[in-house]
Amino acid sequence: MSRTLVGRTTAITAVAVAATLVAACGGGSDAGDGKVKLSIGVFSDFGYANLIKEYQASHPDIEIEQRTVKMEQHHTQLATQLAGGRGAADIVAIEEGNIAQFRQSKDKFVNLADHGAKDLESQWAAWKWNQGTTDDGDFVLGLGTDMGSLALCYRRDLFEAAGLPADRESVGKLWPTWDDYLAVAETFSQKTPGVKFVDTAQNVYKAILDQTEEGYFAKADDSFIGDKNEKVKQAFTLAATLGERKQTGALAPFSQDWNVALKQASFATTTCPAWALALIKAGAGDEAAGKWDVAAAPGGGGNWGGSFLAVPKQGKHPKEAYELAKWLTAPEQQKRIFKETGNLPSEPAAYKDPEVTATTNEYFNKAPVGQIFGNSAENLKPTYRGTKDSKVTPVFGNALSRVETGKQSTADAFAQALQEARDAVK
Amino acid sequence: MTVAPERAAAGRGTTPVPPPAQRLSWRDKLGRLDTRYTPYLIIAPFFVVFGIFGLYPLLFTAWVSLHEWQLIDGDQGFTGLDNYAELLSDKNFWNALGNTVSLFLLSTVPQLFAALGLAALLDRGLRGRAFWRAGVLLPNVISVAAVALVFAQLFGRDFGIVNALLGFVGIDPVDWRAETWASHLAISSMVMWRWTGYNALIYLAAMQSVPRDMYESAMLDGASRWRVFWSITVPSIRPTILFTVIVSTIGGMQLFVEPQLFDPGGTATGTGGDDRQFQTLVMYLYEKGFRLFDAGYSSAIAWVLFLLILVVAVVNFTVARRIASKG
Repeated sequence: MSRTLVGRTTAITAVAVAATLVAACGGGSDAGDGKVKLSIGVFSDFGYANLIKEYQASHPDIEIEQRTVKMEQHHTQLATQLAGGRGAADIVAIEEGNIAQFRQSKDKFVNLADHGAKDLESQWAAWKWNQGTTDDGDFVLGLGTDMGSLALCYRRDLFEAAGLPADRESVGKLWPTWDDYLAVAETFSQKTPGVKFVDTAQNVYKAILDQTEEGYFAKADDSFIGDKNEKVKQAFTLAATLGERKQTGALAPFSQDWNVALKQASFATTTCPAWALALIKAGAGDEAAGKWDVAAAPGGGGNWGGSFLAVPKQGKHPKEAYELAKWLTAPEQQKRIFKETGNLPSEPAAYKDPEVTATTNEYFNKAPVGQIFGNSAENLKPTYRGTKDSKVTPVFGNALSRVETGKQSTADAFAQALQEARDAVK
Repeated sequence: MTVAPERAAAGRGTTPVPPPAQRLSWRDKLGRLDTRYTPYLIIAPFFVVFGIFGLYPLLFTAWVSLHEWQLIDGDQGFTGLDNYAELLSDKNFWNALGNTVSLFLLSTVPQLFAALGLAALLDRGLRGRAFWRAGVLLPNVISVAAVALVFAQLFGRDFGIVNALLGFVGIDPVDWRAETWASHLAISSMVMWRWTGYNALIYLAAMQSVPRDMYESAMLDGASRWRVFWSITVPSIRPTILFTVIVSTIGGMQLFVEPQLFDPGGTATGTGGDDRQFQTLVMYLYEKGFRLFDAGYSSAIAWVLFLLILVVAVVNFTVARRIASKG
């Protein structure tokens, strides 16, 4: 073996080992240009692209990178990043259904009150502000972005075919309560047996339950009360009745099949938070333009979804991150996001603004969405979400699915769900 | 270690030992060191990487599994084997294990037979050989997410093609996600679609090393193609078949992506159907660890899965050796 070859192999080996070590220990690097680099981790479309450009223009010393992943991955990813102590963005979005789970790990986050967030409290609807805080409001975990609010979307043509009124005021009056909604379902199904009245019992259940003050967990001490709370059983039974009567499409919410069913116009109503309008439009396509419309939801308003911006402690620039989060969630910006993406503001100054209330949605038969959703949010008593809410929720969704597919009776499905829920919170 | 190279070089004895020089030059010494240690150095990166990304996580997982461990907040106290004890009485765990075995059998057995047949066909003189050979590998190259998307459409309950075809022969539409056996069939078909061609190519490679004169003499003796296949081809490639069985078993035990993507609830529920009808072990692990944040329990599942695979692999290996020695 010649010397050069010896030299070469040794060198190659050394390089390989070095590369391995570098790869193993590799980490972030800060730009050498003295700019503060901020990253913001969101899911779906928060409507921040233009706002970020603007912020960078007015803050030349700040560079912002937006990272977007799918919603279900976003929160899992965030959890692992918090656990690992690195990798999380400087600002992270947390959805309302998940924030309770993260509240439990609040020491991984910056208390935004330390940066003066409490002065902003009056910007938000009170319930929205409260959802983002813990320790009786002393710990501010996240600043509210949008909210879901709640309405009911329906197909005008299918309602007409069933001999029901089609204009949105009359439709809203058909169902002041969820019992009325079930009665309409009966009428509808008798007239047009080929079409399902609603896409899935799961969403109906969630909508009803979210209108109650307490769901699975007690507001007072966060204990599991799902098996004692009559409201849970009532909501479950109401939704399951639709399933037993085969008036639901038995679709997994927002799944591929759900999209196909939208396209095929195989269901007539669906629960409809503000963010769902974009999903319906995308699924039903241009040929259904003007056929869907938006009416008030039974049971008087509600909220489904909406998010918060939080600042993980592991970030290097908490102060700058807070400033950016504060700016992004300010009423002016929320208004602009609403106009660009339809994400509903969670601050009265924004959702009561004439510009917002006057907004109509062309696709949904020019429905005054700004007004409908704004009103719904105004009368809202949000449900209390326990720390373990996200452990329990899917259990009941699965149970309803079993009723819809005819595998179990309502009573059996509910009993099994309660058992599983008790195991989950144990 | 100063004397080692000399002895090693002498001991290896592949070349006659040169007459003892008074002193080896440093160049020779380096050369001998090189022959002796460079191979280790060259494979070292693998072991370094394995140590960091394989062994360390494995041991750390074992450590975590002995604790109550919340994904974000970490250690909540040492609990010994509590997680394992709970696991053994957890009916969801047994359900997931049953599903995993069922899906493995449903997908692997037909898959390997189909691969064998496909390989036998490809082994014949086909026109455009390269095209067909590349073609069978195509399903394996396509991203699994894309495959899952297409299969989800095919097996749609209301508007799926499979149900439409069944309708032609008078069979009622099947709810492919709701029924246990139907969901297992649908997922298995997805696994088969992805891996049959891959295994076929491995078989084909083995078949091509079977001496052609054996075929010729069999033909002269008047053996049918069928007979030739079972009496010459299959016994000749037996070691390869065993290799694919072992690899498929390990893959089958870890089945995750196909059933997960088949679940309309996605990882948001992670239960593999509304009654866990197609939740595999890895899906259960994921649900516990990453949806419910119970990292301790999840780690216990991971270790039980690891041990299960180890047992199956050892059994496979023993059987393989016995069969091979018979052959």
